[in-house]
Amino acid sequence: MKHESAIAGVGATPYYFRGQSAPQTLYEMICKAILAAVEDAGLTIRDVDGLAFYSMGFDSGLIAESLGIPELTFASTVSGTGGGSAGVLDLAAMAVETGRAKTVICVGACQQLQIRYGTAFSHMPVTPEKAWERAAGLTGPGQVFALIARRHMHTYGTRREAFAEVVISSRLYAATRESAIRRRPLSIDEYMAAPMLADPLCRLDFTLETDGAVAFVVTSGERARDLKRRPVYIAASAHGGTCEWGRAFHWLNMPDPIFTTAGSEPIAARLYAAAGIGPKEIDVALIYDHFSPLVIMQLEDYGFCHRGEGGAFVESGAIRINGSIPVNPHGGHLSEAYIIGMTHIREAVEQLRGEAVNQIEGAQFALVTGGPAPIPMSGAILRN
Amino acid sequence: MSDVSAHPSLSGYEVPIDSWTQPFWDATATRKLVLPRCADCDRFRWPPGPFCPGCHSQRVEWVPAGDGQIYSFTIITKGDGDQHQVFVPALIEFPEAGGLRLVAAIVETPLAAVRIGARVELSWSHAANATVPVFKIVTL
Ligand SMILES: [Zn+2]
Repeated sequence: MKHESAIAGVGATPYYFRGQSAPQTLYEMICKAILAAVEDAGLTIRDVDGLAFYSMGFDSGLIAESLGIPELTFASTVSGTGGGSAGVLDLAAMAVETGRAKTVICVGACQQLQIRYGTAFSHMPVTPEKAWERAAGLTGPGQVFALIARRHMHTYGTRREAFAEVVISSRLYAATRESAIRRRPLSIDEYMAAPMLADPLCRLDFTLETDGAVAFVVTSGERARDLKRRPVYIAASAHGGTCEWGRAFHWLNMPDPIFTTAGSEPIAARLYAAAGIGPKEIDVALIYDHFSPLVIMQLEDYGFCHRGEGGAFVESGAIRINGSIPVNPHGGHLSEAYIIGMTHIREAVEQLRGEAVNQIEGAQFALVTGGPAPIPMSGAILRN
Repeated sequence: MSDVSAHPSLSGYEVPIDSWTQPFWDATATRKLVLPRCADCDRFRWPPGPFCPGCHSQRVEWVPAGDGQIYSFTIITKGDGDQHQVFVPALIEFPEAGGLRLVAAIVETPLAAVRIGARVELSWSHAANATVPVFKIVTL
């Protein structure tokens, strides 16, 4: 563990309902989050020498100019989209562990002023290999995940009650969290009465659409121990994926039984091997929840239950605060906010510092997953 | 509910086509559905692209898709009341083409008949520059 890196600081803007962060600009929010993270770590902006991004990244030059970062010795982006959200820690850890940089900022941010992410496909230029999804009438990722969710229901008998439990438990957690957008408890009857957006997914199965920015300071474990906050170590991090998952919802030719997974099994295997632990040692799981059925499939991929048993597993209460694996005690994307996976890393840090709003008693290991999406997928195991 | 699935609105859709997908769209223009098979190792590949992922051959044979069946589907409702329409994007599996799956709309079909495993028959819809394969449920 000599070369293990650590998260030494966290910073975030408030979370806003989609579009309500105006008149702040996107880069204003990014810079606010970075300044807050650096302050949290007890460092200054002059210490920053690395930037790590994912999901298309941001303009390194503009951030350096805006904040007066003297020199960057590392500035890179994990390829792909939300699949790389936890992979940004992998990138930062590599930079620190190879000596490329000493203080790397990871940042994610959203601002949806014109374009809603939920209709993302209709705002992206269609390319020849994606011509068919548009021709089929598909305009957003939720609709395509509905195809995967229905197949999971067909193959394993997964019920809508299981999707409902993912949403209801996220709402229970969000009720006590100030930063959460949806805090009112939700009943199963309300869930079942919600309009279907892409059957079998109803409106409540879809992530919130929110604005905001979240940043982290990653540095060496050794240095983190001398800084202001209790270090949260990156015990394992991974990004990548197999050709059998490939472009995922843009491909839809994943062979059985991979089709009815979240594509994260290979990431899970590498994380557990690198951390030297298994799912039983994970105390809290921060599972990327853009669409509720994908939480169930990731619980299977990460070995918290057997393949196909995820529905019954969540329906048993396993993901609630006293369950066998509490999931997303911050309310997740479904009830707190959607900053493309960054809120999940933030919650992992708060849990491992022992200062979470819905604290899991004695939490030592937290799993963070990147979004089920075209590869690279990603994940990380953090420890205190 | 006697909803019947509608054709997706494609009249403004300019289908992007490259040299590897061109034969697919040339065939649909003549009301034929063909799928790409490696001319060297017989492996089907999707999407149509420059290499067979199995043997890296660039040679392609375009062969008839054969009978299809629904692998999965979703139902999207747009509009309210009398004005509402239902759309059924589906994943159609072609057992004779190595189980290749094509994403396409189920049209002119009562929702009650749409289910996984249902046999489908080919029909057509029209984009701005191309004829687009859509499917109906085979009913006896
Ligand atoms: Zn071949």
